[in-house]
Amino acid sequence: MSTGHVLLGLLSERPKHGYELKKEHDQRLPGAKPLAYGQVYATLQRLERGGLTEVAGTAQEGGPERTVHAITEAGRAELDRWLAEIEAPAPYVASPLFARVVVATLAGGTAEEYLLRQRAAHLTRMRELTARKASGSPAQVLAADYALQHLDADLRWIETALERHTVLKGETDA
Amino acid sequence: MITVVRMLARGRSRRERARGRLMAAGAALATVLLCAAAHLTAFRLDARRGALGILTEKEPRLMVALTLALLAVPAAAFIYQVSRLATATRERRLAALRLAGATPREVRLTGAAESGWSALAGGTLGAAVYLLAALVARWSLGDVVPVRPLLWTPVVLAAVVLGGALSGLRAGRHVVASPLGVVRRARPRGPRVRDLALVALGVGLLAAALAGKGRFLLGGKYGAAVAIAAGAVLLLFGLVLATAWLIRMAARRAGRGAAAPETLLAARMVEADPRAWARALSVVGLTVFFGSAVGAHQALTVFQSDLTAFQAASYALLYLALLTAMVTSAGALVAHQAEALLDHRRSFAVLAASGVPVPALGRVLTRQALVAALPVCVVSAVAGTGVVVLLLAELYARRPGALAVSVAGAAAMAGIGVLAAVLVARAARPILRRWVRPGELRAG
Amino acid sequence: MLEARTLRKSFGRTTALDGASVEIGEGEVVAVTGPSGSGKSTLLHCLAGIIRPEAGEVLFAGRRLDTLDEDARTRLRRENFGVVFQFGELVPELTAEENVVLPLLFGGRGRRESLEAARSWLERLDVADCAGQRPAELSGGQLQRVAVARALAAEPRVIFADEPTGALDSLAGERVMGELVGAARESRATLVVVTHDNRVAAYADREIALRDGRVVAGATAATGGTADGTPGEAAAGASAAGGVSR
Ligand SMILES: Nc1ncnc2c1ncn2[C@@H]1O[C@H](COP(=O)(O)OP(=O)(O)OP(=O)(O)O)[C@@H](O)[C@H]1O
Ligand SMILES: [Mg+2]
Repeated sequence: MSTGHVLLGLLSERPKHGYELKKEHDQRLPGAKPLAYGQVYATLQRLERGGLTEVAGTAQEGGPERTVHAITEAGRAELDRWLAEIEAPAPYVASPLFARVVVATLAGGTAEEYLLRQRAAHLTRMRELTARKASGSPAQVLAADYALQHLDADLRWIETALERHTVLKGETDA
Repeated sequence: MITVVRMLARGRSRRERARGRLMAAGAALATVLLCAAAHLTAFRLDARRGALGILTEKEPRLMVALTLALLAVPAAAFIYQVSRLATATRERRLAALRLAGATPREVRLTGAAESGWSALAGGTLGAAVYLLAALVARWSLGDVVPVRPLLWTPVVLAAVVLGGALSGLRAGRHVVASPLGVVRRARPRGPRVRDLALVALGVGLLAAALAGKGRFLLGGKYGAAVAIAAGAVLLLFGLVLATAWLIRMAARRAGRGAAAPETLLAARMVEADPRAWARALSVVGLTVFFGSAVGAHQALTVFQSDLTAFQAASYALLYLALLTAMVTSAGALVAHQAEALLDHRRSFAVLAASGVPVPALGRVLTRQALVAALPVCVVSAVAGTGVVVLLLAELYARRPGALAVSVAGAAAMAGIGVLAAVLVARAARPILRRWVRPGELRAG
Repeated sequence: MLEARTLRKSFGRTTALDGASVEIGEGEVVAVTGPSGSGKSTLLHCLAGIIRPEAGEVLFAGRRLDTLDEDARTRLRRENFGVVFQFGELVPELTAEENVVLPLLFGGRGRRESLEAARSWLERLDVADCAGQRPAELSGGQLQRVAVARALAAEPRVIFADEPTGALDSLAGERVMGELVGAARESRATLVVVTHDNRVAAYADREIALRDGRVVAGATAATGGTADGTPGEAAAGASAAGGVSR
């Protein structure tokens, strides 16, 4: 599971405590959904039970006392194994966008207008991301790139869909 | 193969067709000139008739021979110039064929067929025109103009067509070697050292022969004459070949110091393709060379009161030949100007589109002519005068004013040469105005 | 600042522009998008006064541009417009640096000053190393960057760019777009970019969408881009987030 692997990756730098892990996760993966503290805690417990991490002591910097976690040999091996794997190319198209267009065509040819509006919305979002890139940190730029390229893929699909739509309509009209 | 040629012919853009027509026109003119030259040698020179009578004397006959040579040289240079017309663009097109999968042989044959066809069309037209003119001459001059040599016309025509086809074959040469090399040929090949060696050899031979005062290492008196003749010929050809080198150097200098954008652009354009300019200007250079030589020779007679009618007539004849050569030179220049315009059309269109006024582009044309023609004409004039002055140094020593007169004559010849080039460039400006319409931006 | 009203332009039997109208404000950055052959380049050339439409009007700073004669339009282009053409279009006989210098010299600037400006622009576009090379010795991407440098060097009031990133990989394209937009914003110049890359279009404040020679969206600042993007915001945001966590 990837949250565990991300935490293992963060721990591979040096031992860290739970709050630190949450902060670093949100900072290094700025586009991703922020991690809830509870989830960090639960994941750490699971990792420890599997022998992938261990408690390396406690630390206290002004605030409450915190448990510091460290990665074990087994944890490093698991991390290497995970990194050597590839992400399976998505076997299913699971996008609400796709579903909407298909349903819209089923419902009687209102897809075109919907697609145009969706295109405008996508482009607006791309504009924001592009503007953010100009002043963002390297991590933010990477995240923005990721989002931009996905949005671009969506947009190109929308364009093709629009194009096909006119062609299909032309065929049925003729 | 034929299909490919036909396809290319059909798919040719407007400018490609213009190119084909230009080439045909050139072939027509060359045919007419060559026919005239061939025919003239067969004129009955012993028919004592009026002004033509001078041709029967021994000394002027030499002048006539020179005249004919003078007529033939520009004609040959002209056909070469025309057949090489727009090589750059054609090479690019042929290279595209090569990239599209044509074998080297096919590319060569395609090039040969293309230019051969144009030469045939133009040559046939030229031959027809000349036959007509010859018949008119026969009718007005009678038996001075023989009819039988006209049978040679088809031979001349065949030669022109063969020349065209061969140049087409040659045009495919670089393409054959490397299709990409031409498409993105970076820097033009530099003129070779060999070109300069010819000049040095010619000068050396001349100097050696002259230093011997009528005696040469080999063969005594005749050896000297042969050495002088060979030296002159070598010098001449060397000069023609070295022209490209000279133009390149002059253009580089002009470009380096240029403050005006017109000069910068003109110099760089000349520098990028000095060979094209050298081809066009070699005829002009020859004319200036001969003109200066004749002028220097004549300078000796200026102070002579007993000028014979024969001498006067032969000078008149020489100047007539020079005039013809000058007209041919202008023709070569026009052909070159058209070629240059065709090749630079896109650049000019882009510059015009980005806000460079057309008059400024016109100035680029005239400055190109200046940059290229000035060194060629000056060197030719100096060489022409120099050869005669060296040959007849003793006569010059006896007539102090003659040198000044011949220098003035040479300067005038050089001036005329440069002027011709500049005038042709100026004459091209209306075409430029029409061609740089931004609509041309697409016709790539 | 720049306005076109019902432009019509045809080439032989193909109609490239069929009643296209756009309005572009001062300092605005707009992207012209549309399928291949939809008339983007033609619209750009009409706006830049390079070609004349058969019908309709082009106004620049309130002045009719299409009725001016060739000389006046040439002067206008030289003083106010910088153009990056779709196919680079450098003068093959000149080096990269000289290509950038030339328009400056034609604009009446001194040689030294022009050279300095050219060098700094080549540097900004990351092609300073190619300054002494001729176009035939440059790669497609380098050519394009030199062409961009040429258009920007004269600091025009309007920059027209036809597919300025067509031959570039995405990072180089980003850099070129960054310089184009940066230069435009710096000098409050208007930038009109023709592109069919959405990521390039995303640099613009607004998208003018063309289709079969007609403007289908974004004809004026009010109808395109940010203004009507707001309702779709939530959907777009959700979709983007979906994309990231996918
Ligand atoms: N000079 C011309 N001669 C003939 N047809 C032309 C000319 N210029 C444009 N066209 C035609 O006009 C139409 C629009 O051309 P334009 O170049 O404006 O398209 P575009 O949107 O820029 O396409 P692309 O994205 O491929 O560059 C096309 O059908 C094209 O064939
Ligand atoms: Mg285009």
